[in-house]
Amino acid sequence: MHNKPDIVEILTRSQTGEYCTVKDWDVRRIPGAIRAMLKKYNLAKTCDQENPVNWDYELADAFYQAGYELALELGMLCESTERIIKVSEEELNNSIKFAPSELFLGEGKDGTWLRARTPADPYPMKIAASLGITVSEDIFPILVEAIAREREVDILEAGSLVTVFGHEVLSGTPWETLMGYRHGRLHREIRRRAGRPGMGAIGSISSVTEYGQFGAYGTPGAFLPRDLALILLPSELKVDYRSLHKIIHTLNCGGVMKCDSPSMIGGMSGPPEGAVLSAIAWALLSYAILQNHTGGGEIYDVRYLANVNREGLWALSVTYQALSRNTHLLVHGIANEVSGPCTENLLYEIAAGLATLACSGSSFTTGPRTAGGKLHDYITPLECRFTAEVGHAASALEPKQVNDIVKKLLPYYESTIKTPNVGIPFQEAYDLETMQPIKEWEDIYRKVKHEVIDLGIPMDEF
Amino acid sequence: MSHAELIQGVSTAITNFDDEEAKKKTMEALNAGVDPLEFIKRSVQPAMDHIGKLYEDGEIYLPELILAGDAASAVLEAAVPRIAINDQAKAMRGTVVIGVMFGDNHDIGKNLVKALLQAYGFKVIDLGTDVPVKTFLDTALKENADIIASSTLITTSLPYQRQLIELLKASGNRDRFYVILGGGPVNPKWTKDIGADGYGNDAKDAVALCNKLVTEDLKPPLDHPVIVGAITR
Repeated sequence: MHNKPDIVEILTRSQTGEYCTVKDWDVRRIPGAIRAMLKKYNLAKTCDQENPVNWDYELADAFYQAGYELALELGMLCESTERIIKVSEEELNNSIKFAPSELFLGEGKDGTWLRARTPADPYPMKIAASLGITVSEDIFPILVEAIAREREVDILEAGSLVTVFGHEVLSGTPWETLMGYRHGRLHREIRRRAGRPGMGAIGSISSVTEYGQFGAYGTPGAFLPRDLALILLPSELKVDYRSLHKIIHTLNCGGVMKCDSPSMIGGMSGPPEGAVLSAIAWALLSYAILQNHTGGGEIYDVRYLANVNREGLWALSVTYQALSRNTHLLVHGIANEVSGPCTENLLYEIAAGLATLACSGSSFTTGPRTAGGKLHDYITPLECRFTAEVGHAASALEPKQVNDIVKKLLPYYESTIKTPNVGIPFQEAYDLETMQPIKEWEDIYRKVKHEVIDLGIPMDEF
Repeated sequence: MSHAELIQGVSTAITNFDDEEAKKKTMEALNAGVDPLEFIKRSVQPAMDHIGKLYEDGEIYLPELILAGDAASAVLEAAVPRIAINDQAKAMRGTVVIGVMFGDNHDIGKNLVKALLQAYGFKVIDLGTDVPVKTFLDTALKENADIIASSTLITTSLPYQRQLIELLKASGNRDRFYVILGGGPVNPKWTKDIGADGYGNDAKDAVALCNKLVTEDLKPPLDHPVIVGAITR
């Protein structure tokens, strides 16, 4: 019998662990422990903005060791009870050791193998599209089907429904349960219509509470246990009963889950180096405490509402190199773009973010986050295709090569990260009769794709 | 100890993120006869200006900003009651009731806005996360607030922002408070659609928005919301 805490033990610890208020956790424990660990391992101010993609593996390994120690020192705080859930070193090691190193999502020829990767691994990073950008209910079926028809896209997450049966949905009401079910049914039907019924899926993004998941996951006709259940948790290093409901429901269904909780540069974990430590600690603890199957490592810069800035990219590169070189976990990355459809900058941001994730060892990614995910219907299948093309093609590149490429991409967009051009919505960027991009958007795609190929990302020519 | 030294002691306690020391030094200064209004201007404001600059320069981050805001709040709680009622408003830029809408427990953005508002001289009443609509109204009335600030990161909590506006109207209080919005899925169009008074794209934008609302000769509800933070097209 391997010593690894099961969900009963975790629930028990969420009631009996050391008491700590959320505020004390946020403003004293987390920053204090991170500062001490950065000092102990001499990692403070190692972020090199001139080289936004790290290729110093010794540095990445040092971050891993510090993040591992941080995980053991801190554990996770259960917000609902204000108790700290800690794990022993043996429990953490066993949880990492027995976590899956590969996972088949979906069914048959349409399904996808997620595999543990290392930096510059020829096995391609897999691509789930798109992030949960809100989509009008009438547009949802045709837009998501068009994304599913993009053959480079491996896994379907899709957008979030704005309404259900024309009704606005409020958190905590039965409308959420209904929305989860509606989303799950539509999602399956769309995959079938797109000719990829066995395509791997992530659900449900329309309603991210436990109610949405109860409606969507394991329900007949909606998401099946072979699909990934999406569990989003509060940061930094926190869990709550809402998330534990979802985790237990997923386990009850015999399903597999992807737990995410981005560490925030500029937030409680402080500088980019602090966010890297927090992200590594969270990823490791998610397998021990949350019974996670895949996920962990996400980072977001709250100062830029993105992570394709220099510090964000550096933090992503170090985090995934650290986790992929030192574990066989199926870590998941997200590039957070801010520009919108029919703009060159969106594609430059995608190229920088996806190449960084892919070369650094992330097993899979979900994206793009077009227009920062702020606007209804601002997502098109074309940038989903580009996301997948870059992610696949950049997987085997060395981080040093990608650093040289990213340094050439950043000047295109970094001055406008805070004032992005959000472009135009799907209904304007696509001809809804032919379901093809308008000429202007197609031309932008071709131009940027040529440029990115010329810079050294070996995508297929047209 | 001179008045100047007492005031400096309070400033230092704030920049050391020490709320207990800040409160203790404040009482010493007030008991020594320092004019409370002058005291706030010369202790809290320079200290928080310094903290704001450190944050802008990336020298400190959110936890330190929150702790400094707590220390400044401790000073104000002790000093403001010593100011004549008619002059109390001069000590603060304004009062903001802030919270995350019902159904949502994401608090990073709200915490950042709160800390920055405190740093720039606002009194902030923090309702936390998962806040029912009526709590915003009840608290704003109780605190005689100038601004109600609400945020959410999840789309299914957005409709509660509209309900807040509707409740303010139904209770006859829409003209008493500015209502401003922020958060991931919140955008200028939504702000305008539901009849809110302002939108800030990020935390610094939210501070600029609050400053504009309390310093310009405006009155809620505004016909056109004030949008701070560019989303261009």
